[in-house]
Amino acid sequence: MNEWEIATVVLMTALIPCGWVCLRRSFAEGVVAVQLAGTIGALALLVLAEGEGREPFGDLAVVAAPLSFAGVLMFLRFLERMR
Amino acid sequence: MSLQDAAVYLLLGAGVACEVIACLGVVVMRNVYDRLHYVGPAALGAVLIAAAVWAREGPSGIALKATVLAAFLVVASPALAHGTARAARLSRFGDWRPQREEGIEVEDS
Repeated sequence: MNEWEIATVVLMTALIPCGWVCLRRSFAEGVVAVQLAGTIGALALLVLAEGEGREPFGDLAVVAAPLSFAGVLMFLRFLERMR
Repeated sequence: MSLQDAAVYLLLGAGVACEVIACLGVVVMRNVYDRLHYVGPAALGAVLIAAAVWAREGPSGIALKATVLAAFLVVASPALAHGTARAARLSRFGDWRPQREEGIEVEDS
């Protein structure tokens, strides 16, 4: 394993606590965790593409980040209406 | 180990450390507003990882993608944090502005 693959494993492992917050805490706190998970997931894809030497896979990271942004915005809309 | 390798290790390690610290902060903090403070360092980590890609590859396609990703996260992450705090307050109080029951001095409008 090179340093980029090790970084990918660490980043993917960091997604587990975010999932725990989503499952065990309130909806608002879960949205924060999803927001962070989107950032970490996109970076994991980028680092994996670099580690494997597959430049086109970097596109996945560039696409994943805006999609995650849009998804969180949708959750925020639900959160605003929730009382 | 060349200077370039050292720079890559340093930047990549710092970037991943930022993400891990952000993750631990989101898990450990008590409420949604405290947790939101730890989403910011995640964007800093993206900048450091993009810098690591630049240090390894130089000007290239993957470096451009890393830069675009980091720039997007630097812009989007604070905006989302603001939106999340606003939505959380709307959900809790029905209004995002400071409320009297919070013990904060509020000027009459």
